Amino acid sequence: MFHFKPGSRIPLAAALAVAMLSTATAAADTLYEQMGGMEAMERIAARTIDLSAADPRIADEFRLVKLRRVKEKLALQFCELTGGPCKYDGDPMKPLHKPMKLTTADFNALVEAAQQAMREENISFRLQNKLIAILAPLHKEIVTVK
Amino acid sequence: MCLNHSWRMSFLSKSLFFALVVSTCSVVFEAGAAAAPIKDRQESIWDQGKLIATGGVTQIEGAGGSGLTTWALITGYGTERGIGVNAHHTFVALDDFKLNSTGVAVGFFDRLELSATRQWFDTGTAGARLGLGEDFTFGQDIWGAKLRLLGDAIYAQNSWMPQVAVGVQYKNADKEAVLEALGAARADDLDFYVTATKAVLKHSLIITTTARLTRANQFGLLGFGSADTARSLQFEGSLAYMLRRNLILGADYRSKPDNLAFADEGDAAALYLAYFPNKNFSVTFAAVDLGDIALQGKQRGFYVSLQAGF
Repeated sequence: MFHFKPGSRIPLAAALAVAMLSTATAAADTLYEQMGGMEAMERIAARTIDLSAADPRIADEFRLVKLRRVKEKLALQFCELTGGPCKYDGDPMKPLHKPMKLTTADFNALVEAAQQAMREENISFRLQNKLIAILAPLHKEIVTVK
Repeated sequence: MCLNHSWRMSFLSKSLFFALVVSTCSVVFEAGAAAAPIKDRQESIWDQGKLIATGGVTQIEGAGGSGLTTWALITGYGTERGIGVNAHHTFVALDDFKLNSTGVAVGFFDRLELSATRQWFDTGTAGARLGLGEDFTFGQDIWGAKLRLLGDAIYAQNSWMPQVAVGVQYKNADKEAVLEALGAARADDLDFYVTATKAVLKHSLIITTTARLTRANQFGLLGFGSADTARSLQFEGSLAYMLRRNLILGADYRSKPDNLAFADEGDAAALYLAYFPNKNFSVTFAAVDLGDIALQGKQRGFYVSLQAGF
């Protein structure tokens, strides 16, 4: 731990280092547990899909799919990727999304929906970013129209 | 018109955009029709498709970045299929000087950024002390181009490879005779830089380091070089912490050359808070220390930058 004398000025670099450390020390639990376990994952996934299906930017992509199934699979995926006791058993990302001809803007519209869903679930921005950091590399598999 | 339709095109044909906007639009329109898209969703060239705050703000010379540091991110919210435009005004109040900076920057397809900025550096009462006359105002125009070369700062979170860009800034300062009298070798020059940026999302950080080849005196406001000064390698570093989706706390450090014989020039630092209420608007507040300027001692103060874009 760091201790600063009362009244001493904390250098900025140290303040930022402390901010970084505080994000690292909470790593004892899995992100899955920190975010609230399976029930939270299911609510976040369901809300993400509902918001997306109502978003004019990407609503078309959800018109012909069974939303309940997509929500279930997304919750499983969130659970597995955050270190929870699940195994995603849905379709592989690449062939699933290829026919949709998705762009980066489409991908980000879904990210924004997930961020809003997590805000509504009172997930801290710090934890939100940890999930987004795990999801971000999926961009390579999902976005085919560049 | 052609700015709001479904289109599919390669990077090569995107490049045509710069050369011939009108004809590119018609080419694109035909290509889109011929490809018989599976869906007929409307796609705008002004797609605003990036995540909020990932376009950064505008740095002091008008490029995409933070207060003092040039970032490798391309300004604006256009994705690789869109164009983003930003206008900014920055006001810096120092102990003895005031700096105003106004400019426009355009990001093309998350690949190329072009910027134009005008700066006014008001010497206030220091102008009288320096024998220039009160409120004597130096100024310069800065034309910038930045090309993203490789890497991905945002999506490649499973890799340490940063996004890397190279850039050039042409700076053309006013008051050539005065600059020469102060000892500067010339009133216009080129800065070259290479910059690397990485968002480390799991720690909510955006990290940038930039190497700049320059002989600018006080960013170019006091001309370039002295009797026989070559460009030297200078460093810019930025550490930004995302407090919230739309709020960034950051720190910048920037080294500067010390060419002029009449006065020492020191390094610059800034501590800033950038707020992004939406993708069309942002405001940055900063505490700055620009180091010694023109015999007037350390110049500390604050910085406000407003940015609007589409």
